[in-house]
Amino acid sequence: MSNPLIAGKAGETHLLLGNEAIVRGAVEAGVQFVSCYPGTPSSEVPDTFFRLSPEADYYFEYSTNEKVALEASAGAALGGARALCTMKHVGVNVAADPLMTLSYTGVPGALVLLSADDPGCHSSQNEQDNRYFARLGGLPVFEPASAQECKDMTRTAMALSDELDGPVLLRTTTRVNHLRGPVTLADAEKAPAPAGFQKDPSKYVPIPAFARPMHLRLLERMQRAMELAETSEYNTVTGSGTVGVVASGISRAYLSDALTLSGLGDKVKVLELGFTYPLPEQLVLSFMKGLTKVLVVEELEPLLENDLRVLVQTTGLDIEIFGKNTLPRYGEFTVGMVEDALRSVLGEAPAVRPVNPPEEGLPMRPPNLCAGCPHRASYLTTRKVFGDEAIYSSDIGCYTLGILPPLKSADLLVCMGSSISAGSGLSKATGQTVVAFLGDSTFFHSGMTGLANAVYNQHDILVVILDNKTTAMTGHQPHPGVEKSIMGDNESRVIIEDVVRGLGVTEIRKVNPLNQKKFTAAVEELKAKSGVRVLIAEEPCPLFARRAYGKKPQVTAYVTPEYDMSEGVMERVACPAFYQDDDCRLAVNELLCAGCMLCVQQSDNIKSKKKGDK
Amino acid sequence: MSVTPLRIFMTGVGGQGTLTATTLLAKAALLRGLPVTSGEIHGMAQRGGVVESTLLIGLKSPKIGPGEADVLMGFEPLETLRALIYLKPGGAVFSSTESTPPLSVSTGQATCPGLVDVEGRVAEVAGITGWYPCQSLGLQAGAAQAGNIALLGAVAASGVLPFGPDAVAEAITANMKPKIAAINLKALELGVEAAKA
Ligand SMILES: Cc1ncc(C[n+]2csc(CCOP(=O)(O)OP(=O)(O)O)c2C)c(N)n1
Ligand code: SF4
Ligand code: SF4
Repeated sequence: MSNPLIAGKAGETHLLLGNEAIVRGAVEAGVQFVSCYPGTPSSEVPDTFFRLSPEADYYFEYSTNEKVALEASAGAALGGARALCTMKHVGVNVAADPLMTLSYTGVPGALVLLSADDPGCHSSQNEQDNRYFARLGGLPVFEPASAQECKDMTRTAMALSDELDGPVLLRTTTRVNHLRGPVTLADAEKAPAPAGFQKDPSKYVPIPAFARPMHLRLLERMQRAMELAETSEYNTVTGSGTVGVVASGISRAYLSDALTLSGLGDKVKVLELGFTYPLPEQLVLSFMKGLTKVLVVEELEPLLENDLRVLVQTTGLDIEIFGKNTLPRYGEFTVGMVEDALRSVLGEAPAVRPVNPPEEGLPMRPPNLCAGCPHRASYLTTRKVFGDEAIYSSDIGCYTLGILPPLKSADLLVCMGSSISAGSGLSKATGQTVVAFLGDSTFFHSGMTGLANAVYNQHDILVVILDNKTTAMTGHQPHPGVEKSIMGDNESRVIIEDVVRGLGVTEIRKVNPLNQKKFTAAVEELKAKSGVRVLIAEEPCPLFARRAYGKKPQVTAYVTPEYDMSEGVMERVACPAFYQDDDCRLAVNELLCAGCMLCVQQSDNIKSKKKGDK
Repeated sequence: MSVTPLRIFMTGVGGQGTLTATTLLAKAALLRGLPVTSGEIHGMAQRGGVVESTLLIGLKSPKIGPGEADVLMGFEPLETLRALIYLKPGGAVFSSTESTPPLSVSTGQATCPGLVDVEGRVAEVAGITGWYPCQSLGLQAGAAQAGNIALLGAVAASGVLPFGPDAVAEAITANMKPKIAAINLKALELGVEAAKA
């Protein structure tokens, strides 16, 4: 069955996830090249492109990291292709180097960069506001608030990039990526084949002499972008009165609902900005004519607010601006918060909104390593050998969940790839024993450079690469080292062990962590040595193995009557398949048990049997 | 189109199919021509954490704040209790009675309020309540995961939605493979019957 995201016809309406709508928008815009590094909340965009690639015309790749992804898309767009590059907000930090100069060189084709921001840190280490990057680099910005806009703005962003010959930022936030709504399709454009790269070093090689005029061209491009923003269909004025509200991105949805539910709709004049940067100054000035107060509703940083303050000051207007003095500079908004901000600017008392008190003392339900997760085995053993004294320099992936007791194997973490480099610096500066943990996808993303550094600078660190054969955390995407993806075998594998050896490491062990005896021996052996040592803990993620390898658990653990609770396996291993039975004894839920046999190796009184056997 | 705004908050445990249920309900609303938006927070869904989602009719924001939900649907009773803060006092609560205890509880390191306590707390703040053994209804229909659809059936039959179980049935038929659809249609029916009982 052909998928409507590829084969859908104009006029059809489908319920789409924001991220699926972005895919359709790109398809409608005739996208030819898509690159990415996955990351919540962006991941369904590349994953959908990947899944649909057999029935579509575009080229798609999971790149090794965001910098590589953006450079790959940049190359394609320099050759005249229409390209889309997707990542989560912190990914743009990694891609910032190419991004800042790409706007200088521009792109003869088209290039849209999706930055999926995460106000509220739902699944991220920070809640940075990437609208700053657009200001830093000089990129026009679109900020959708509905599924329909996700599609439409992706398409418009591509067309704008094509028109201006510069990269364009599509900035979403978690709620937008993960909302669902009806989307009415338009026909997909068929873009002409890329023209090919036309040599012109003065345009494409930013040596200082060429970079200076490039900067001027960038400023001119932003001027043209501003003119286009003035008349963009995504920037609209409604309502009337002397109090104005300016809202952008998802805040427009909060504002719209606040107005619908509060009945304040006829008391304010509203400027909605969807094409949010550069600020359409003439539109804003004409909107502000006759206003005495303006409330700016934008999550995170006061960027529009400050732009408005500058505008008011330079034009000598007498308007009071409200923004971060009424709404928070952190986290997400709610409809109620926006309504109350509106009321306060209107001089009304906040709405009385009775709320049930939060239930105190309920047991939490933190996410946990799955039953049978090989990371649990790696942590259990490493901790047993190294104890509490060693510093566990962690990284980002499912394995960060090892932070929870009883494993407690994440003491510090900065960003992807930091486990080896930050761990190296720490051990050098303090002489403390450091064990670094990082995943296989993270190793290719930014672990390799840190490892080369550790070898070259003679650091003292044990690096455990948790090779579960997939990028599990973000949805089991492939990476250069995988054996398989949902599409089949990886025919051009990059072998982690070979890379590690190639980078100059001599002490290397590769062991399955589920084999506790061998794994313990390897950890002990490497503990006794100094310098850079690498232990590759190799075993596929069981969730992924089920899907990609068709591997189903055949056996289950069970607890014999001889088991003594004082053996403490329940407390030490804490597998989610464990429970306490009615007699307060350890038991294994056979439905949840993944048959990893980790617990079986901890006690002679826990045994295995075939699933379903009595 | 002018419709009475309605906000539904759904909560469950990762792996229970909370998001599948949300999407089906949204598709049912769309089939009836209603302006619908739904929202979901995933990321940790696979790792046994809490999964929350929303469905809004006649509104655009995919997020529901404290005290803003007209209807709360809980696919697990402890999570129903935890999400009570989102319910507008006097609103409707529909929940599964069958619990999936968090690891700390199942391994005896923490305790969790019993069903009687949960129902009592909910009754203090909700105007309408409905409690159903969802997983059992799902099993009766052919698969424990279909328990969510039983809850959809009960809610749709209660009259708090601007459409009935027929719209959900249509959405199931239109979006699922025949074999799975059959199980879910049965679960839907069991939910409807449970609501009427
Ligand atoms: C710069 C950056 N890009 C992307 C992410 C999102 N992200 C978090 S974990 C992860 C993948 C981890 O995969 P792996 O290292 O293989 O560990 P696993 O989850 O498989 O255990 C990604 C891509 C991020 N946090 N930072
Ligand atoms: S998804 Fe895989 S890697 Fe992640 S916690 Fe579960 S078993 Fe472990
Ligand atoms: S074998 Fe033991 S540790 Fe492994 S999944 Fe089963 S119960 Fe958990």
